[in-house]
Amino acid sequence: MSMTNSYIFGKSEKKIGGYLLKINQLISGYGSVQILNGANMKVEKQSIVALLGGNGTGKSTILRAASGLIRSWKGTIEFNGEQIQNLPAHEIVGRGLVQVTQGKDVFPAMSVTENLKLGGFILKSKQQLSDNLEKVYNYFPRLNERKDQLAATLSGGELQMLCIGRGLMSNPKMIMLDEPSAALAPQIVLDIFKNINRIRQDGLTVLVVEQNVRMALLLADYGYVIKDGVINVEGDSKKLMYDESVKESYLGGTKANV
Amino acid sequence: MFNKLRIGKKGENIIFGTFVLLYIGWCVNSPDMNIESLKSVLTIGLSVGIIYGLVALGISLIYTGLDVVNFSHGEFFMIGAFAGLTMFNLLGNQDWIFNIFPDAYGWIIYVVCLFTAFVSMGLFGVFIERVFLRPLTKKGGGYTVAGMGIIICGFGLSVVLINVAYLIWNPVAKPFPAELGLPMEIGGLFLPITYIWMIVVGLSVAAGLWFFLNKTKMGLGIRAVAYSKDVSNLVGINVPLYISIIFGIACAIAGIGGTLVGPTYQVVVFMGYIILMKAFAAAVVGGFGNLPGAIVGGFTVGIFETASSFYISGSHKDLYAFLLMIVVLMIKPTGFFGVQVKMKA
Repeated sequence: MSMTNSYIFGKSEKKIGGYLLKINQLISGYGSVQILNGANMKVEKQSIVALLGGNGTGKSTILRAASGLIRSWKGTIEFNGEQIQNLPAHEIVGRGLVQVTQGKDVFPAMSVTENLKLGGFILKSKQQLSDNLEKVYNYFPRLNERKDQLAATLSGGELQMLCIGRGLMSNPKMIMLDEPSAALAPQIVLDIFKNINRIRQDGLTVLVVEQNVRMALLLADYGYVIKDGVINVEGDSKKLMYDESVKESYLGGTKANV
Repeated sequence: MFNKLRIGKKGENIIFGTFVLLYIGWCVNSPDMNIESLKSVLTIGLSVGIIYGLVALGISLIYTGLDVVNFSHGEFFMIGAFAGLTMFNLLGNQDWIFNIFPDAYGWIIYVVCLFTAFVSMGLFGVFIERVFLRPLTKKGGGYTVAGMGIIICGFGLSVVLINVAYLIWNPVAKPFPAELGLPMEIGGLFLPITYIWMIVVGLSVAAGLWFFLNKTKMGLGIRAVAYSKDVSNLVGINVPLYISIIFGIACAIAGIGGTLVGPTYQVVVFMGYIILMKAFAAAVVGGFGNLPGAIVGGFTVGIFETASSFYISGSHKDLYAFLLMIVVLMIKPTGFFGVQVKMKA
């Protein structure tokens, strides 16, 4: 962990405890269009891993396959020591692997509290639900201020907070974020990334899919770069930041401003 | 991007209001117009309207939940009526019920019939959805639309269900002699007490559905599934199960509607078709896919139809519902309450 990283996002201690998510030779796609051509990934426990890549390279497809929205055609997805590639999506949530959607994927006609309660849909006890609600409001006090408003009235940053909060409601072991910085102002992105770091410090594992390569590499411990459905480059995020091929393809050829 | 309850543009409302005023003027000019006849028109109109509303509620519920327009919904209404009637015939010759409750005998049997129709149609709807619709929607890739196939399937299902009912119960119209007490006098007309009973039970069912959807956890899940299948999946809702539940609830409500009209009219194999068409009119008038709109649309179609056949001409009774639907589609294409606009990512 670099000094810069902890300076921007707050203190972080990396704990090593094996791999939580393992994706082996994953082949998948939509309809008859194959997007993933044998992707391999590993996510260590309590780490932040960034999955980077340009448009249409298969970043979101990996997330959709891992969360069960699309089936994997070949290859395995292992979560917490259990193969999950054939489980229906709602059971994967029950295992503790939750995908956090982009901010626009909320339920706009419901209030913020109702949206969050939906996040804890699999919880059995009401006590647990209200505890988790408190926890989320603690992460994002802004949501507490707006808890009775319809989600449709929230700003872009608040929507993204709502989505992350909804993902945290079901006591997950790992969350996978789909472009949390999309269409947000830099200040808000920084705020959200700080919270992601805080979530990791509280014991969760985080996988971030990002187009904002520089910010994602600053936040993450480890990075994967995907190209044409296979993992092209991988390595420590600090190394990736100075990697020539990554720089050329995704950082615009200029030296990373760290 | 987000749901919006659209009340309508100003111009639309003015033109529509002019039509309404013209129509009221026409009715007031009629020689039959007096306060007595108005009372009975309202009673009959509301009671018929709530039936249209209940079926329209099911159609709208299936439309919002599954993105499917269910053309076989009238048949669930008809089979629901037969389920109620079958239960009625089973209980009708049981003396012990009469011995225990000599006063409320007819009412108790009738409530049991309503409950039977509700439960049996709910289970039957789940069965139909699982066995006949699910393979089609799966081919289409999701849990919902499979293009034109699902609409043809609805029509086909309607024909099959009518013919199965024909085989079981034969085409003769059957009376449903529920003993609910003496007719009441409303506005000089003696109306069966079932008219009031229809309004009360129908409104209770609608209110119950509102409560279920807005105040329970399962209702929250249903609203989520209706908005987005993918996001519902990601919060851990068992979407296939919930789609079956939505279809089952819609069919159960239609079944209650069938048993409600049974004692007033008769139970016959072909009763589903015309109800389906008028419920469509009601759903369009209220705003397709809007649940409170379905009930309001049902009342509007019911009152318009009854008033027109009283004051204008009684020989074209079935025409008026569709006339109203055409006028609404011309002037206010989104219906009274508009459609909840949703955009999918």
